[in-house]
Amino acid sequence: MRTRLSLFLLLLFLSSCAVVLSWKKEEFRNCNQTPFCKRARSRKPGSSPFLAADVSISDGDLVAKLVPREPDPDQEDQEPPARPLALTLSAYRDGVMRVKIDEDYPSQESPHKRRFQVPDVIVSEFESKKLWLQRVSTERVGGDEGVSSIVYLSDEYEGVVRHDPFEVYVRERSSGDRVLSMNSHGLFDFEQLREKKEGEDWEERFRSHTDTRPYGPQSISFDVSFYGADFVYGIPERAASLALKPTRGPGIDHSEPYRLFNLDVFEYLHDSPFGLYGAIPFMISHGKARGTSGFFWLNAAEMQIDVLGEGWDADSGISLPSSQKRVDTFWMSEAGIVDAFFFIGPGPKDVVKQYVGVTGNPAMPQLFAIAYHQCRWNYRDEEDVENVDAKFDEHDIPYDVLWLDIEHTDGKRYFTWDKVLFPHPEEMQRKLAAKGRHMVTIVDPHIKRDESYHIHKEASKNGYYVKDASGNDFEGWCWPGSSSYIDMLSPEIRSWWADKFSFENYVGSTPSLYIWNDMNEPSVFNGPELTMPRDALHYGGVEHRELHNANGYYFHMATSDGLLKRGNGNDRPFVLSRAFFPGSQRYGAVWTGDNTAEWDQLRVSVPMILTLGLTGLSFSGADVGGFFGNPEPELLVRWYQLGAYYPFFRAHAHQDTKRREPWLFGERNTELMRDAIRTRYMLLPFFYTLFREANVTGVPVVRPLWMEFPFDEATFDKDEAFMVGNSLLVQGIFTERAKHVSVYLPGKESWYDLRTGTAYLGSKTHKLEAPEDHVPAFQRAGTIIPRRDRFRRSTTQTVNDPYTLVIALNSSQTAEGELYIDDGKSFEFKHGAYIHRRFVFKGGKLTSLNMAPATSGNLPFKSECIIERIIILGHAGGPKNALIEPGNLKAQVEFGPLLLQGRSSSGVLTIRKPGIRIADDWTIKVL
Amino acid sequence: MKAAKARAVLALLSLCVLSIAGSASSSIPTDPFVGIAPEDLKYYKSSDVIKCKDGSKKFARAQLNDDFCDCPDGTDEPGTSACPGAKFYCRNAGHSPVLLYSSRVNDGICDCCDGSDEYDGKVNCSNTCWEAGKVARDKLRNKIATYKEGVTLRKQEVEQAKLALVKDEEELTKLKNEEKVLKGLVQQLKERKEQIEKAEEQERLQKEKEEKEKKEAEEKAEKEKIKTEEEAKQEKKEGEIKAEIEDIGVANTDHEKIGLVEDTPSDQNVEDDFEPLKEIENGDNAVSRGQQANGVDQHVVEDKDESVSQVSQKESEIAVEDVSRADQMTASGKDLSEDTEALSKEELGRLVASRWTGEKTEKEDKDGIIEDSEGEDHEETSKDAHVEDEDEYASDADDDDQRYEEDDIEDDVDEDVPVEDHYDTSSSHESQSDDELDLSDTTTQTSPSWLEKIQQTVRSILQAVNLFQTPVDKSEAARVRKEYDESSAKLSKIESRISKLSDKLKYDFGKDKEFYSFYGRCFESKQNKYVYKVCPYKQATQEEGHSTTRLGQWDKFDDAYRVMIFSNGDRCWNGPDRSLKVRLRCGLKNEVAEVDEPSRCEYVALLSTPALCLEDKLKELEHKLELMENEQPRPHDEL
Repeated sequence: MRTRLSLFLLLLFLSSCAVVLSWKKEEFRNCNQTPFCKRARSRKPGSSPFLAADVSISDGDLVAKLVPREPDPDQEDQEPPARPLALTLSAYRDGVMRVKIDEDYPSQESPHKRRFQVPDVIVSEFESKKLWLQRVSTERVGGDEGVSSIVYLSDEYEGVVRHDPFEVYVRERSSGDRVLSMNSHGLFDFEQLREKKEGEDWEERFRSHTDTRPYGPQSISFDVSFYGADFVYGIPERAASLALKPTRGPGIDHSEPYRLFNLDVFEYLHDSPFGLYGAIPFMISHGKARGTSGFFWLNAAEMQIDVLGEGWDADSGISLPSSQKRVDTFWMSEAGIVDAFFFIGPGPKDVVKQYVGVTGNPAMPQLFAIAYHQCRWNYRDEEDVENVDAKFDEHDIPYDVLWLDIEHTDGKRYFTWDKVLFPHPEEMQRKLAAKGRHMVTIVDPHIKRDESYHIHKEASKNGYYVKDASGNDFEGWCWPGSSSYIDMLSPEIRSWWADKFSFENYVGSTPSLYIWNDMNEPSVFNGPELTMPRDALHYGGVEHRELHNANGYYFHMATSDGLLKRGNGNDRPFVLSRAFFPGSQRYGAVWTGDNTAEWDQLRVSVPMILTLGLTGLSFSGADVGGFFGNPEPELLVRWYQLGAYYPFFRAHAHQDTKRREPWLFGERNTELMRDAIRTRYMLLPFFYTLFREANVTGVPVVRPLWMEFPFDEATFDKDEAFMVGNSLLVQGIFTERAKHVSVYLPGKESWYDLRTGTAYLGSKTHKLEAPEDHVPAFQRAGTIIPRRDRFRRSTTQTVNDPYTLVIALNSSQTAEGELYIDDGKSFEFKHGAYIHRRFVFKGGKLTSLNMAPATSGNLPFKSECIIERIIILGHAGGPKNALIEPGNLKAQVEFGPLLLQGRSSSGVLTIRKPGIRIADDWTIKVL
Repeated sequence: MKAAKARAVLALLSLCVLSIAGSASSSIPTDPFVGIAPEDLKYYKSSDVIKCKDGSKKFARAQLNDDFCDCPDGTDEPGTSACPGAKFYCRNAGHSPVLLYSSRVNDGICDCCDGSDEYDGKVNCSNTCWEAGKVARDKLRNKIATYKEGVTLRKQEVEQAKLALVKDEEELTKLKNEEKVLKGLVQQLKERKEQIEKAEEQERLQKEKEEKEKKEAEEKAEKEKIKTEEEAKQEKKEGEIKAEIEDIGVANTDHEKIGLVEDTPSDQNVEDDFEPLKEIENGDNAVSRGQQANGVDQHVVEDKDESVSQVSQKESEIAVEDVSRADQMTASGKDLSEDTEALSKEELGRLVASRWTGEKTEKEDKDGIIEDSEGEDHEETSKDAHVEDEDEYASDADDDDQRYEEDDIEDDVDEDVPVEDHYDTSSSHESQSDDELDLSDTTTQTSPSWLEKIQQTVRSILQAVNLFQTPVDKSEAARVRKEYDESSAKLSKIESRISKLSDKLKYDFGKDKEFYSFYGRCFESKQNKYVYKVCPYKQATQEEGHSTTRLGQWDKFDDAYRVMIFSNGDRCWNGPDRSLKVRLRCGLKNEVAEVDEPSRCEYVALLSTPALCLEDKLKELEHKLELMENEQPRPHDEL
């Protein structure tokens, strides 16, 4: 009690201090102001009333009833005894166990309300991976009095349901060691739908808003433990460290739980557990002892998650039957059902693959989309667009996409153009397209309530808007003023929305135009916490509270479908979204929202992007330069240097900020920013290959160090450096006028400086001079990186340009790498129209192998591109010639620079003009 | 040799591999010297081993344009895209030659009008140099024609400026002489006056002594009464301001509202005052070159201008203060957050939107009101408008109060030290006509006569008074006082004029004084709903309807007199103080065009003026045209 009071006082103190901060903290609920969170957090371990009964196999699943224990007669003010719940446990190939717990709806009476299960997220292929469970065995585990039911998951793992007390876990078959468990601390609770009692008040008030809560409390909470784990990661989105810090436990000052509730947060703070624009309830654990496992709860209601610090359960009297090191977590959600996925791992990449096996692989972006994007709120008119475009050419800086924010529309009516500022949108896009460039316009989900606006007219006529609690079209305030919101939960409405993107319907659009979805949390300026009231109603009577976190996902989906339709299914959509949910990776890119031009925000962009990548959203970035505020030129330059390695590389700025296009800060800074952007263009073949890897496996483009070095403990909580693919380590510089920078290089092999080719030893922290002209980046020994060293105005002009291969040899003089190429635009790659090569250097010989399976399809993809240069780092000898097979041709070998405009170095061997085609099989022997 | 070998190798390769590798793999140009500027050819042809221009390396002739980058600076690849640092020369016969970034070579886009940058056969570029060159030459000829005329105009301007400056300086010298003489006279009068007063004092000493105590007692009583009154007044006023602030707070601080209230009356003043002023300005050009009388006009214009700006400046300062007060409240957040609970849904929506948009909401609010077509909304807006009106009345009254007070102050100042440039603030002022007369007196050529007149008068006074030492002649004393008052008034007028003239002459009118005529003038440009007014040496404004925003105060010329800078304009809601950069270019008339706001609250404008039509530049253009015309091939070349 005393701690509670002191916490309260502390909170009071904090909130009174926080006035100076720009973040409007008081506008958002904390856990204490959120009844379900407050209730759940106050629950004691072991209080869960359920035990498992009637365990059997049905339709290939293990099914059981969770029945409440007999009530303790000594305890007063008891809730009425809970009804039984229905549990279903299923096993899937590749190491996934799924546990569903829902109310056990009596079949005879159909209740007026069923709990919401999120549709449209789990991919159809997932069901085909289901293992048809045949039998369940029982055993007494450890010293248990009661029995546990055990099912097969894979040859190495088993799923266990302990009956009393109820507990579910995954264990290793041979050792019996646990991997992941649920309700081991008896915190499982499930508030069932019920009739309102007389005099009971279900309404909830926050500030001036009232939530009618017609169905009353319906929250769910439970604990999840990760075994053999040192850290947990994941559950975006927030501006916080990669390894999640404990939010409860001994020695931890009061902290909010990690919140998952999509919100439009004005000027968000770095290093805060507060949830931002997107929500992915997927957590990954990693530890030296066991490796990696993951837990995913498919639920779209508000969620709060505590990471429990070691010793948090010391007073509970519960000791788990395991001596393994462990991370405990506590999950709370306001509504929905339990639909939980246990990912067994055991490697980091395995867990990510298991997760995208459920929620879908990231879409393959077009080539232009992974190049550099230039954005500002707002490029004001056609002349402005033309000038900015011309300036890029004047300064020989490549860029691929120019963006238009909300001001391009006629009064924030999306799909329209401001007639004065943008009288000739098609011509404007064509002019850009003539230089191979694309345009992106913004389309937001709030629809201006204006009878003369065709979208509004149709939507209101057809009843396509989300309804308020009383059943009328919900009205909120956003950019256009009074607005309503399309209900994207309905497939019919999504299809109607998708049609709006056809060239006929979106007047002024051309094939080079793509789309940006902002404000889709949804942002409602006068709503509770700046979003939609929880009692608003969606298609099928679904309450907004049940759906909230998936709102942006459905909007993103509908827009992406629109672009797909527009291109007759053969033009890869590009849609950037701010809000997201599991599965968003199938529809396009996301960015980290409205960040600020501060060094700390540059720093936090790295863990934010890494976390997104871990949770399936490989294609993500932060606004280069920082959205709010004016970056000093040095910060802007550093941001470009780091941003060049973001999967999604876009500069953006608030309309109140000074112009900051790369040429506005003097010649030297222009040069530095051009260099940074060109570095990205140079590495595009490498990046594109990684995007393809993500598309096939889900393994993200940029990765935490521990994903590539899972046994190097020093990497587990590092989040200032990251890996691009398995080959490149990038270290940001996050301080002003930094003289030095420390870089930890993991692994046993050496690393080669990306600019100079200088070798550095692995498993060591190097203190380097902080260079002005780039952030430190190193190629890992044993890898081969494909590059394109010629610069063009945009990616479109590079299709015929030759490649450079950079081979970094390891201590055994070997290296491997890949190159993936397709047309960069269409879906023909799905029918085999691509080139996928594997390069292997071994025994002084480089070999190019075909990676494309013979059965991949029948559409051809041809490339006449050649390799103009092969660079070898770390070669032991001093070869003079290279011999090319087939043809028995010779090519010269010389010392050359690693970068064309750099100096030659004796460590950099260059094979001049081997003239071999990228599409062919060949070998080159260095003599 | 090597190149030939390489090509042979490639040919072999293409035989071995079953496809057309040869054409694909090579963008090697047929002409080894492609992309090299004529003046550079010697460098490349002089020897078989060529140095990279940065001195870092050497390369063999065969490596020239072999589509492989050897030099870090790109010396070896002027004709291909292999080196990022290289430049490609297109001759563009019929037009002007161009140096392209190597990134443009064989990229599928025709950049050179002669199409020489696309030689790998992937695209076909037609030669458009003849037409493009013709257009460019015509454009250049037009430009030259403008320059020619402009140069003449500029010369005239410069001449006139020199004359006018001489005149200004003459006037200044003359005024300084007058000042000296007058100072002497005033000093004499003062001494005389003091003598008389001394005598009078002695005379009155007795009398005064008797009355003194009584009088002092009276005065003291009076003073105290005034003091208490003032204090009461002050308190009341503070109370009112407080109430106003609270009102604003409750009514969800709307900048626009405050702006309107404060701006409307003052703007009307400005407009009223500017109307006649413009007429004078227009005539000004011709007039100022003429006689002295015209000079008067011009002074009138300037003076008037300045006083107007003083007034409007004061008022805008008030407005700014109020706005910033409101800003502070908005920014403080606390007030706001406390208030939001009491807001209507719409107000809350607007308020939150304004965090991102800043003052932009004001405009949007307006838009919203105009565009809203629903009856319900109409009701709301009219209600809003009503409230606004009330507000306006209330603070209008406040405002008037303030203004009266200011006027009072000015009047006071006037009585003490007559200020020349006073006469446009209030038409009821009596001293006005006198001032005007006096002013023309001081500046017309007949001025010696008034000075002589005064001198005579003073002489006569001094003589006359000298005759009667004591007792003091009452009428004589009055005459001395009157003369003293009049002369010292005149003296301050002259002093003020001197200081104005010297201030003016301190300004930078350019290398050849070519910007002299900009002094005291304003250039206007109307764009959409805004009127931009650029007044060199003074300020620049943006007017929308009745509201005026200062884009900046005159700062300086920049970039060798090619840019005028106005800085420290009105504060932006969420940004810097407004500023304006006016880029100058040669034109036959002084005209502002293309006002733009590329960054929030940082404006740029273009002003064409003969002052920028420089002879050197003309010669440069003529030379360029000459070159272009020499480059023209015979028409047959085209075909």
